[in-house]
Amino acid sequence: MSAPSKSRENILERVRAATKTVALPPAELAAACASIPRDYIRRGGMTVTACQERFIERLREYDAEVVETTEEELPATIAAQLAGSGKHTFVAPAGLPAAWQAEGFEWKLDGGLSAAEIEKAEGVVTAAFCGVADSGTIVLHHSATEGRRVITLLPDWHLCVVYASQVVETLPEYFDRCGQTPGLATYISGPSATADIEMTRIKGVHGPRFLHVVLVRDSGQ
Amino acid sequence: MSQGVYHPVLDPAKARPFPEAVLPVLRNPQLRKNVAHAIDVIQAKRGKLVVEKTDWQALRTAGAAIRTHALENLGAYLTQFEERCTAAGGVVHWAADAAEARQIILNLLREENASEVIKIKTMTSAEIQLNPFLEAAGVRTYETDLAEIILQLGEDEPSHIVVPALHVNRAQVREIFARRMGLKDLSDDPRELTNAARNYLRRKFLDIPTAISGANFLVAETGSVVVVESEGNGRMCLTLPRTMITLAGIEKVLPRFQDLEVMLQVLARSATGERMNPYTSIWTGVTPGDGPQKFHVVLLDNGRSSILAKKTERQTLKCIRCAACMNACPVYRQTGGHAYGSVYPGPIGAILTPQLMQMHHAQTLPFASSLCGACYEVCPVKINIPEVLLELRSQVVNQERREAGRLFDPMYLGLRIANLIFSRAWIFHTAQFLGRIGLGVFTRKDGWIHSLPSVGGKWTQTRDLRGLPKQTFHGWWAARAAKPSGEAK
Repeated sequence: MSAPSKSRENILERVRAATKTVALPPAELAAACASIPRDYIRRGGMTVTACQERFIERLREYDAEVVETTEEELPATIAAQLAGSGKHTFVAPAGLPAAWQAEGFEWKLDGGLSAAEIEKAEGVVTAAFCGVADSGTIVLHHSATEGRRVITLLPDWHLCVVYASQVVETLPEYFDRCGQTPGLATYISGPSATADIEMTRIKGVHGPRFLHVVLVRDSGQ
Repeated sequence: MSQGVYHPVLDPAKARPFPEAVLPVLRNPQLRKNVAHAIDVIQAKRGKLVVEKTDWQALRTAGAAIRTHALENLGAYLTQFEERCTAAGGVVHWAADAAEARQIILNLLREENASEVIKIKTMTSAEIQLNPFLEAAGVRTYETDLAEIILQLGEDEPSHIVVPALHVNRAQVREIFARRMGLKDLSDDPRELTNAARNYLRRKFLDIPTAISGANFLVAETGSVVVVESEGNGRMCLTLPRTMITLAGIEKVLPRFQDLEVMLQVLARSATGERMNPYTSIWTGVTPGDGPQKFHVVLLDNGRSSILAKKTERQTLKCIRCAACMNACPVYRQTGGHAYGSVYPGPIGAILTPQLMQMHHAQTLPFASSLCGACYEVCPVKINIPEVLLELRSQVVNQERREAGRLFDPMYLGLRIANLIFSRAWIFHTAQFLGRIGLGVFTRKDGWIHSLPSVGGKWTQTRDLRGLPKQTFHGWWAARAAKPSGEAK
């Protein structure tokens, strides 16, 4: 530990002195924060179907592959995607449903796999917490079915299963769904990319270069 | 940059005044072409996405209000952040200035016996000149953002806060990578260059156990840190190492987790013209089994609290570092970033840099603007940059005119004389009278002055000056009043 310095007290003292004419008493802070005008669009106006179409369209703009399926067809759809990838070794988060772990492939179930072991896998299959149609964003809260952060980072190929009921239109709708705030979260909008060389968008720098999304429609749709 | 080309100095204490520092850039057509191309691309993308967002102005209004509220109550929110982050297993450090921040980070690295460290792009670390300090102390730093690798290997400096190597083109990147990575057969295809960077860094991510990041936002409510990026190098640094050190300015705090719903909607659209950047990472202290098990946050003041104290200038700290202002700026478009002599270029740099220097350096920057207001119009948190520019200009002028050596400075002498002339009507009329006689000598038959001697020649070198009219407005008015109404035309 570095020696305790007076900087904490000095900085806070300076900050408080600087804001003494505008800072609110602690008791009023929460109410003032809640009363900030938020006139932007909270809830989108699209139909459920249009919202899902938008989600798919935005994902495809990012060069993500999207396939649609139903709950019944899901295991077969996942198996077909895995077969189509030409890859053999996949990481599965600890809580991934057994039915999603298609036969004929090598599965590494994550229970604290080392980075080196994950690095050797060619792909990863996970669930998601939410999908945001407006920006084509997939939200991971890293639960048991979504996995630790590292497993969706090192393998070059990520297949993510999103249920239609998880898709919201706007980003504020996602925040409304959060309930308890997540300690860890990753928002993924398309595969890893850069535009650092002459603003030319290049897919795939350090994160997975291939993002596949399986959108599971409700059986009624 | 190849040898023989000037090396930019991004230390405001050592940089040359802006009007001198721009000269090498203005004489470098390749660099200007690179800058203009990059900016045109971002601007076009941003424009489309802003139009499509029908609630853009409401988002700006909310974004501005959230940032203002956070700054006005910064003391409360900083202590709340500290409390929540600490409760989640993080360690919070406070650094009054750049030197203290550097020392805290070095001490933390020494505790880890770290001889190497991987870094996520952080302009704040460039502000405190962390890399040269760590290198001198024997710690090798590896930048992992593609643009930062280009700069680090090319021994160049950032010229933009979001796309720091936008002044370098693909042929120059190829040359740097071929030379520094020993890849003789590398082409200048951006795909191949990006792949070279991927391979260069892959083992470093897996092997180096200590990382340094900046922060886009700190969330007071939860004690979380937010990092926004594109490539995944950030996620690598945030996930693989044992120890993570985050350096963040004290102004980066947001009150609530939900405030991200505004900030994340405006940030990527403003910064890179994307609906959302590829990766946003949020973490809170230490999570057992996931990511670094030691986490430190260094909260940096370095002049920020004194900016906070001033009513007009306080809004400077609302900045979320999207760079929309520099992309919109007609001055930046011509000069690029290096001329600003700071890691923070463009309009926001023109107001932030001199203030971070407590107005002791970079005094020419508030004048590096046409005051056209484009920066204010695009700012997602509504920083009225022209207003702050004017405030800082007046401070610089007040500072300068008190300097002893300025007594006979032609500009201040001229201004003092003007002040005297305008203070009394009779002096003004006398000056007008004398002026008409004096200028009459130089006025040609067409009523224009084509050339003036001495200092006046600086004006007529590039433009003509209209001669003074025969009658002044005052004279005309007096004559009109003396005649019956309706006759004076």
